[in-house]
Amino acid sequence: MIKIEMQDVCLGYGRKVVLKDLTFQVSPGEMVGLIGPNGCGKSTIIRALSHTISSYSGKILLDGQDVTKIPRRQLAQLLGVVPQMPLLPSAFTAFEIVLMGRNPHLGLFQYEGPKELAIACQAMEKTGTQSLAGRRVSELSGGEIQGLLIARVLAQETKAILLDEPTANLDIGRQIEILDLIKNLCRENNLTVLAALHDLNLASQYCDRLVLISNGRIQAEGTPREVITARNIADVYGAESCVYTHPVNGLPCVLLNTGNNKMARPEGVIKEL
Amino acid sequence: MKRKRYKLGISYLASVILMSLLGACTPTPAEEPALPVESATFPIETTDQADRVVRVEKMPEKIISLAPSNTEILYALGLEDRLVGVTEYCNYPEAAKEKPQIGGFSTVDIEKVVEIEPDLILATNIHKDEIVPQLERLGLTVLTIDPKTVDEVLEAINLIGQFTGKAEEASQLTAEMEKQIKAVTDKTAALTEAQKPRVFYILWHDPLMTVGSETRIHELIEKAGGINIAQGLPDEYPRISLEAVIMANPQVIIAGSGHGTGQDAPFHFALTEPRLAEVEARQNGLIYEIDSDLTSRPGLRIVDGLEKLAEFIHPELFKESQ
Amino acid sequence: MNIAPPIHFLHWRSRIYGILGLFILLIVVALLAVAVGSVNIPFSTTSSILICKLPLVKMTPTWTSALETIILEIRLPRVIMAGLVGAALATAGATYQGLFRNPLADPYLIGVAQGAALGAVIGFLLPSSWHSVGFGIIPLLAFCGALASTAIVYSLARVGKTLPVTILILAGVALGALLGSIVSYLIISSGERIHSIMFWLMGSFSLSQWSEVTVILPYMFLGMFIILLYARPLNLMQLDEEQAQQLGINVERLKLVLLSAATLITAAAVSFVGIIGFVGIIIPHAVRLIWGADHRFLLPLSILTGAVFLILADLIARTALAPTEIPVGVITALCGAPFFLYLLRRKRKVIF
Repeated sequence: MIKIEMQDVCLGYGRKVVLKDLTFQVSPGEMVGLIGPNGCGKSTIIRALSHTISSYSGKILLDGQDVTKIPRRQLAQLLGVVPQMPLLPSAFTAFEIVLMGRNPHLGLFQYEGPKELAIACQAMEKTGTQSLAGRRVSELSGGEIQGLLIARVLAQETKAILLDEPTANLDIGRQIEILDLIKNLCRENNLTVLAALHDLNLASQYCDRLVLISNGRIQAEGTPREVITARNIADVYGAESCVYTHPVNGLPCVLLNTGNNKMARPEGVIKEL
Repeated sequence: MKRKRYKLGISYLASVILMSLLGACTPTPAEEPALPVESATFPIETTDQADRVVRVEKMPEKIISLAPSNTEILYALGLEDRLVGVTEYCNYPEAAKEKPQIGGFSTVDIEKVVEIEPDLILATNIHKDEIVPQLERLGLTVLTIDPKTVDEVLEAINLIGQFTGKAEEASQLTAEMEKQIKAVTDKTAALTEAQKPRVFYILWHDPLMTVGSETRIHELIEKAGGINIAQGLPDEYPRISLEAVIMANPQVIIAGSGHGTGQDAPFHFALTEPRLAEVEARQNGLIYEIDSDLTSRPGLRIVDGLEKLAEFIHPELFKESQ
Repeated sequence: MNIAPPIHFLHWRSRIYGILGLFILLIVVALLAVAVGSVNIPFSTTSSILICKLPLVKMTPTWTSALETIILEIRLPRVIMAGLVGAALATAGATYQGLFRNPLADPYLIGVAQGAALGAVIGFLLPSSWHSVGFGIIPLLAFCGALASTAIVYSLARVGKTLPVTILILAGVALGALLGSIVSYLIISSGERIHSIMFWLMGSFSLSQWSEVTVILPYMFLGMFIILLYARPLNLMQLDEEQAQQLGINVERLKLVLLSAATLITAAAVSFVGIIGFVGIIIPHAVRLIWGADHRFLLPLSILTGAVFLILADLIARTALAPTEIPVGVITALCGAPFFLYLLRRKRKVIF
């Protein structure tokens, strides 16, 4: 059980500051969603949390420890990442890719034994990708690859999982399947989950809390009801009067209404945000 | 890929330079001078040893030599006053080093040559393909010397003498040389095969190179009463494997020196290579060094080379006569 | 369990068989290469000479010491040298291809060859009295030149604490071009030394001896051992660097270690033998075509295949036109390219 914390973190690339004053936390057993418009910096936050980029200032803590001080291998045992559009070597099979998830638990001299193979198998079964096992990555579709990445992070058996748009290429059935899986794991194993999602409905349905990023800072934080409001959506996304209440569970849901995007207005001034 | 092109370029360069270095070229038959030897009147027109027709209108006053062998011949014919250009490698006689230098091993500074305005240029087979045509295009007269055998060396000296108005001196010189050669071959001609020792001539040790049967050095070895262990090999200057040398078990090893003095010289190799320890020449201490200028240069000192080789190969026949 | 493990055990099984098979092939090819040469020695004599040298075997020699010298002092060290160099170049090539994720990478990519060539040419041009320092100044300078040029490229390409591979390649190619031009200039102005230098550059095993083998053996073992150790991380490097980091790989340290080890074995290979091309780029690809890209198998298979290939190439180089020798680089290109094209046509599968 580990807690992810960001305190006053400032992030950017080169000299350009992309995000400032980031302060939030994710507790064990909690699934937090990162939402915001394209390019707002969700991937940047995930990179910073997994220490693939450095922060300019502020502290990023994993279970109380500064993430930059944790040795790489140990960090990978604690925290797993499902990247957004990763490069996968086309010559490897799906099973080999998933098996790579076991790397943090293997020493330099060790090789994958039956236990590792079993864990990888199980991970593939859970994500419904076991039929892809012997196929080469180059033959797989985007959706199948995304399933594989989830399987890989499951095989990694970490205490915390970061997901960067894990369902972008999946059909609606698969989306629900995967997110149900993650939510259940989160609950059952007390995992700490942070997911960057672009689909506001999924975010609303699955996440315990949401963090809304816009204009380089946290715009709003809280439960889905608190964050997904008509006003927030209009301010951040520029799409007006889209928020309704789900008839079954009462959570906010966003329904599209064409023609009310401020950009599409033929006349009138674009509202200042 | 860059590396492959680089390699191709280097290989091409290598073959061009190796060919010039080793004097490998298509054999051309040497021609007898068409005019009688005594004629010292100009103009002269005849074919040189590269099968080119050369014409000289009047007695050449300014002569340039493109090879050390030609320089030696010019000095021997008493033409040093008319010699106005030599190569960096013209080192015999000593005085030749003082002459203005117009080129290196196979390279010639064309501009310098043109500036001097020579009446006659003496080239060799290395220059035949590119430099000679270029010089002729510039209106200069070039005589190419390319002797394949010892006899052709003598002819070359006569040819040069003819073209420089020193025909008499040349024929005297060659007559003297013939006498010296005969002094050696008279003694060795009588030898049986069994009496002729197996000789291994090391041209260079890394790679291990020796002389084939088409070369003048091979001819010298034979005239000196030896059997060249590499005589069956195809090229003029073939590489030979160390294995083949060991199997041939030469009785005399002669290393050409002058390409690198000191430790890396073929002589040192012959003396110290551990895998040659069982070879007869090493066991009997019959390993010699010879100045390769004496054996390689197609000039008058080839006779000295022959005499030295004879001394090494048949000390019992030749030591006293020195 | 279920379907997946058996599939993979199948792949692993064929690869392990491949390793065993190649090992046996290596022994056979090595014996063949020792038995055949420009001088005809009956096989029974060769095997007797070899067996006699084994400990605890007592035999009275029925052969001349000349034959013994040929087999034990000329051919055997030569074959071992060819095997070591072939293995080293193939391994280094596979490592560079994995590190740079680039199928065109070869051991000479970042300037190792040109650095070694420059060192060797300087050695050739030094006054001869220097030449007997240690094992010969030319291998020493070639080795130092190779390492120095890689170190320069490495420091040129570093950006802060990271080593971006594209910049590394560019810096390597640039430095290689610069060094190559210096080498060309020195060659042109080397005068009489030129044929020794050209011969060295084209690569040859002709004067290999035991002293050389004992000198490069420790470097080869060390370098190849380290690379084999990092086979699994090298697999993970095939993902992009971000994913590899997220899966626990310290990417910068891995690059440094693997680069150093690969450069070490390449420098050792090149220093005595000159620059033999083609082995480092083609052998890893051929192995991948047959046995896949998993580095845990790719690396040992490359070691064995590289050794077999170069021993055979050297055998052809010294016997095809005996007793004259063809430079071994010509043979590697002539024989290797068509074979690779054939493989490529037969198995049109993705290899990278």
